[in-house]
Amino acid sequence: MTESAASHVSQGNADGVSLRRVSKTYGLATVLQVAGLVFRNGEVTGLVGENGAGKTTMLGILAGTVMPDQGGDVVINGEPVHPGSPIASQAAGVAMVSQEFPLVGQLSVAENLTLGLRPQGRGLFFNRKSVAAVARGMLERVNLDIDPYAPVSSLSIPARQLLEVAKALGRDPKLLILDEPTSALGPVEADLVIGIAREHAANGGAVIFVGHRLEEVREAADRVIVLRNGRLVADMPVAEATDDRLIKEMVGREHLATVTADHSGLARPTPVFTAEDLTAVGLGPVSLSVSEGEVLGIAGLMGAGRSRLMHTIFGAIPRTGGTMTLAGASYAPRNAGQAVAAGVALVPEDRKQQSILANAPVRWNVTLATLRRLSTRGFFSPKAERVRAKEFTGRTGARFASIEQPIGSLSGGNQQRVIFGKWFAAEPKLLLLDEPTRGVDVGAKAEIYGLIDEARARGMAVIVASSELEELFHLSDQIVVLRHGRIGRVLTKDQFSKEQVLLTASGVKEIP
Amino acid sequence: MTRSEAGTSQDVSGTQETGLAARPSRLRAIVDIPEFGVIAACVLVFVIVTILQPRFADAGNLQVIGLDLADYGILTIGVGIVILTSGIDLSPGSVVALCAVVSAYLNVNDNVPVGLCVIFSVLIGAVIGFLHGWFVTRLDVPPFAITLVTLTAAAGGALALTSGQPISGVAFFYQDITLSKVGGVPVPDIIFVVVAVLAWILLERTYIGRQIYAVGGNQEAARLAGIPVKRRLMLTYIISGACAGLVAVMVIGRVGVGDPSVGSGWELDAIAGAVIGGVSLYGGEGRIVGMVFGILLLMLINNALIVLNVNPYYQQVALGLVLGVAIVADRIRARSRGQARPRGIPIFGARGSNPKPGGEPASAA
Repeated sequence: MTESAASHVSQGNADGVSLRRVSKTYGLATVLQVAGLVFRNGEVTGLVGENGAGKTTMLGILAGTVMPDQGGDVVINGEPVHPGSPIASQAAGVAMVSQEFPLVGQLSVAENLTLGLRPQGRGLFFNRKSVAAVARGMLERVNLDIDPYAPVSSLSIPARQLLEVAKALGRDPKLLILDEPTSALGPVEADLVIGIAREHAANGGAVIFVGHRLEEVREAADRVIVLRNGRLVADMPVAEATDDRLIKEMVGREHLATVTADHSGLARPTPVFTAEDLTAVGLGPVSLSVSEGEVLGIAGLMGAGRSRLMHTIFGAIPRTGGTMTLAGASYAPRNAGQAVAAGVALVPEDRKQQSILANAPVRWNVTLATLRRLSTRGFFSPKAERVRAKEFTGRTGARFASIEQPIGSLSGGNQQRVIFGKWFAAEPKLLLLDEPTRGVDVGAKAEIYGLIDEARARGMAVIVASSELEELFHLSDQIVVLRHGRIGRVLTKDQFSKEQVLLTASGVKEIP
Repeated sequence: MTRSEAGTSQDVSGTQETGLAARPSRLRAIVDIPEFGVIAACVLVFVIVTILQPRFADAGNLQVIGLDLADYGILTIGVGIVILTSGIDLSPGSVVALCAVVSAYLNVNDNVPVGLCVIFSVLIGAVIGFLHGWFVTRLDVPPFAITLVTLTAAAGGALALTSGQPISGVAFFYQDITLSKVGGVPVPDIIFVVVAVLAWILLERTYIGRQIYAVGGNQEAARLAGIPVKRRLMLTYIISGACAGLVAVMVIGRVGVGDPSVGSGWELDAIAGAVIGGVSLYGGEGRIVGMVFGILLLMLINNALIVLNVNPYYQQVALGLVLGVAIVADRIRARSRGQARPRGIPIFGARGSNPKPGGEPASAA
């Protein structure tokens, strides 16, 4: 780190990527207005801001996918870039790793990595072997040990994310944009990506690192800039970027959250859910139990089986062995429908793919799991549905203009609140949360923690899987650390520490 | 923050993602109905053609339009419901032929009472639909492929059963169904309206209907919300098949024979009708009102081109253009609402690169 910091001082700000008088307006709304901003070569610039602050728009302008307003320039190492053209931006050396995964699912890892590069073979044909060799080289740079011939659709989300990073690096970019690259990753992989960012800067490239996890941004960046309502509100060296300062700049008001609440008084000893030697493909045997009002955290690296465990409990992945009980009765769901009927709810990891009907109104989304219960002999009354939809979106504090608005038009945080409302309406006994704050901003995160507190106060048992350890420490009464689908260790509240979790998760040290 | 009803203008401070607040205007509200375009087009076509050629609005001609509308309309509703799940049914035209032939055959050659023959026709259609659903849900066969099999095989089967000759001598009951009128309205149109109302109730007022939309909108989200996805898919194919079986009965009555070559190409008009009515080929979007007016518009234009003596070759071109305009208009409307085109290939039912839930196979860190 010191090395690259030194190099940036010596190079000064003569070259790099600069934005001059760049703005973007949609109709009457100005979503971005930046008078001047330089991303210096040899430096990692951390970019933070709440959802809707203009981060995505700014990155889009750099990547050429968003057409800026007339009159501004994007200049890369002294060369102005033709605005609004992804091809021009790429040719000028901009590579972006985005939150979405624009990989071609049916194609193999190798084919995706070399997509858009010049074919390796002769003429129109390409040589499978040389493509795979190139791909292997690219995968090595991100430490990803996967078969280059495997189709991308068979990979997990974290593996795809790393694949994206490998693909971007493979283009030898002058400006590497990492847009929340770690949101899908566990701690070890996140460190890896941070290392890649640092290395790229040390080699003289410019890097923009966008993150929700402030600690990671600090770790990665030499300097941090903050956007709020489309404007640059702060630009500081990383040493000054404390949590308090950043959150204050992002939110524009004092942080409201109660970050260190003590929930120990709320936990009651009645076990709501137990699993005994639970197994599924790639999982277990796992035994655990959660009590009324208790939050059990699930930690583990990517591929450790966190989501798999959640989906197995929910009946969405076939169980191959073991027994479960719910509220004292035997519980053996053969599909998600039976789990919901028995009183279990799951907020899945990937909101867009697994949770929401993006083009359908908020009303449909919030009543999706309970419309059947709302119906008599199959029929429901639209009025009862509207009342219900308003009640449960209200209870979770989701904000929108109308319950008829498509849920896809809401921010990530508000979408998640609607999803919580959907499950609160089902009054589950056991609430399964898989990465509940993935892709939501700091303010919304605190509110989602509030919802989880409400769930426990209502006597639900909660199981939270998360790759953010701070989140687990904050929420959980106990943490189960998974490794290769098995329980590596169970930590009680007084044992919570990053070292303990990481050591167990990565298998460095086996603790009985 | 106070939450207020849509229509007041100050309700969304603090959340820029909600965009401009809706302003109250009755005209705006009417124009914003997704089916506004197709309904307006129906009215426009009717008025303009009637001015050009008053014969268009004659009772006799309206009867012809009405009978066509009933046949195609019922097929449109069946296919439309399948498309809501992001599936497709290419078989209805051929199923009409097969059901018509079998129903007539049983009636004429085996002396099966006509009432039973009518029921059999609908049942055979439903069983074919069930088979489609079985292949789609149990073996993951793309709907396009399995219904293409039926499109070919059922049409061939109808011809093979009859050696290509129409079956004549069917009971008069068939004609009674098709050619009778109640208060001047042909019975088939009454049947069409009943089917449309039942379908509307299913989709708008029952949880099963909502679950059908959910399966089309996001199959994985539907599954993880506890919805029995396979049963819902199955139901839509059965409905589509039964609709084709019902149309077969009305067709026998109309031509007075069990004609094995009937129905060829009808599925395309039915699909076009649904799409013109705003049913998204990506699934999850579209309503019965739209389907009804979509197929009505197609029937009006079809008939208008005949009445106006347009060269038959250009009739095909015109119908194609209507479909093109409808699809483009739908995309423009979706864009203006800021909706992204869903991933995946429409018709093939595939949702692109859906990650398997909780699947974290290849990588061990």
